[in-house]
Amino acid sequence: MTSTLPDFTFETAPDLPGSERVSRYGLSAVRRLVHKLWDLTIEGQENVPSEGPAILCPNHLSFCDSVFVPVSLRRRVWAIGKGEYMDDWKTKHLFPAFGMIPVDRSGGEAAQAALDTAARVLDGGHLFMIYPEGTRSRSGNLHKARTGAARLSVRCDAPIIPVGHEGTLDVQPPDQFVMKPGLPVTVRFGEPMHIRDFGDPDDPRTIRPFADAVMFEIAQLSGQKYVHTYAGAEDEETVEPKVATPVVSVPPGRARSPKLTAAAS
Amino acid sequence: MNIASIIENHADDRVAIIDGEERVTYGELRAWAASIRQLLTERGIGPDDRVAVPAGNEPAFVAATLGALGVGARVIPMKPTNPLPELDRKLASIRPQLILVGEDAAWMHEHADGITAPMVDLRTVPRTAETSPDIVERDAGDIAIMMLTSGVSGDAKVAMLSHANLAWAQAAVCEDSPDGLGPDDVALAVLPFSHIFGLNVILLALLRQGGRVVLQRRFDVADSLDLCRRHGITVLGGAPPMWRQWSIVDSATDAFSTVRIAASGAAALPVSVFEDMQERHGITIEEGYGLTETSPIVTSSRGDAKAGSVGRAADGIEMLLVEDDGLPVDVGDAGEIVVRGPGIFEGYFDDTEATEAVLTPDGWFWTGDVGVLDEDGRLYIVDRIKDIIIVSGFNVYPAEVENVLLEHPDVRGAVVVGTIHLDTGEAVVAHVSGDVDTDELDRHARANLSRYKCPTAYHLVDELPVAPTGKKIRRELR
Repeated sequence: MTSTLPDFTFETAPDLPGSERVSRYGLSAVRRLVHKLWDLTIEGQENVPSEGPAILCPNHLSFCDSVFVPVSLRRRVWAIGKGEYMDDWKTKHLFPAFGMIPVDRSGGEAAQAALDTAARVLDGGHLFMIYPEGTRSRSGNLHKARTGAARLSVRCDAPIIPVGHEGTLDVQPPDQFVMKPGLPVTVRFGEPMHIRDFGDPDDPRTIRPFADAVMFEIAQLSGQKYVHTYAGAEDEETVEPKVATPVVSVPPGRARSPKLTAAAS
Repeated sequence: MNIASIIENHADDRVAIIDGEERVTYGELRAWAASIRQLLTERGIGPDDRVAVPAGNEPAFVAATLGALGVGARVIPMKPTNPLPELDRKLASIRPQLILVGEDAAWMHEHADGITAPMVDLRTVPRTAETSPDIVERDAGDIAIMMLTSGVSGDAKVAMLSHANLAWAQAAVCEDSPDGLGPDDVALAVLPFSHIFGLNVILLALLRQGGRVVLQRRFDVADSLDLCRRHGITVLGGAPPMWRQWSIVDSATDAFSTVRIAASGAAALPVSVFEDMQERHGITIEEGYGLTETSPIVTSSRGDAKAGSVGRAADGIEMLLVEDDGLPVDVGDAGEIVVRGPGIFEGYFDDTEATEAVLTPDGWFWTGDVGVLDEDGRLYIVDRIKDIIIVSGFNVYPAEVENVLLEHPDVRGAVVVGTIHLDTGEAVVAHVSGDVDTDELDRHARANLSRYKCPTAYHLVDELPVAPTGKKIRRELR
């Protein structure tokens, strides 16, 4: 457990997204600022490998999760972010400079391009962060995982590090622009998880059990209640690529969500 | 159209059925079916009347089925042996106007007092008739067969399949490709004709092609291999328990030397059986997926089998994996298999509510099975949706837990079910057969499964409830 600024090694990667200069100096400044302004506790840092690829999978409650998790690491990390950040003048230069990989939420080839870039990050032996829930949880519960992280894990033979944090929702509740200083935040890193421990990586049936097991570990780390439904079915912040939605009509008594049933029928 | 006509154009002297030493040619089978038509007409049986045919895999079943279809009636194939309460329940659910009783079901005559529908002993029906009515023309959507579903999920129903449903599925396995059934094929019919796989994919499809069907009334591994050798079997269809037995026989490779199509269905085929058949006998089992309600073709691995997969959607089948709200699952994720196509049944007999629960007005059938698609469009079956156990909100698929338990060398069989748990909603309970130390098995489970998937209790049992097809009957343990 630590509340001091962890040692940090900047990994150069000029071929990957992000400005080397902004990432190096900007990240250093942000790390110092965060550790000064908040009571940050980091647990399980030894679970993050000091070299080689790994996929960090945190729970997602607040925008500032994308600040607290990276500054808790000893290594540089790349992450997927929603494509809408590229349409906003405040973020369209800054976020990519820090290594954000924008994803087109319309899915298809554009979304695949983001995952291909993520694969390049991992194949280069670096850390990559993706929120397995695909979007912020508005309920406070931990939601069902999208499959992107698990599939990347298979594709790149990279372990998943479950990450659970507490306190970020108080620091920056939804729709608040300013992060409230002085509050405690805890970030916990779990042990690396390998898909081969959950079945044959070549059998597609292994993906979902692996993704669920990652969520189980995140729930232990974050203390959240798990619900087996996707986060953000109603909001617009899904950052995981979604396939097109041909509609299948639903027999009565099956659907759990009246809203989606109405849309589908 | 009328699927009773499938045998009409084959040469008279061509052998259609072999039962022991008996051979029935297509000419003789046509005459026999015509005689049945005459009998049924005399009895006042006509279009849409229900004719139950309890019988084994015997020639009279084939003649009775084609004869009853020929007068436009609906045929209900039934197992020859049923415990009396089960028989009474089945007859009450189908309310047949007439029962044509096969040789293997002759015991039913002793129970005649308890059966209200008139019965005819098929052994007494002449195999030819001087005159007989022509085959009745039916509309494509008219019901031909009513199948009693196995009731593995605990709610046995009667699925109505139309002439068009059955004809489409037959054509799907007989298409003009080297891998389809053809007139030179010889099939071993050991899967019961009361099961849609045995009835439509093996028997009727091969008769449609003018092929030869070798009957085996009860599965016996040695006898089946003898039949393969004797008759040069080219089409071998079986359920996983049969394939398991064939796979472990050492001296069977010569029996399989003529087999060109090896098909498995009715339940999930263990990968080890697939691999054993390949390594030991050079036979690649093509596993397909389907249900009674789909006549039964949904997927096929024909010419492209891969261990663990049930193949790709058959031509003409739309297949999607969806969440329970009808939206498609994420790429690579598990979801309920929903299908639409020409083989989808017309509904459950006399049960509108059950029909509407699985069949939407625009033709999507919700199978109740969970599957996963790989990047090449191959389907993998995960489990029955009803069998999923929800522990603290997390889905646990019993099959995954069972497979881990079966990896323990002392475990002979395992069936996993859910039980109510005050803290976690449900908990996993394992019923295990074999000479097992449960503490050691628990350690094995904890080393190989996420904590929430580990059984909270182990029950050692002598026998596990498994249907002859290999399906686990979990409801008996809940």
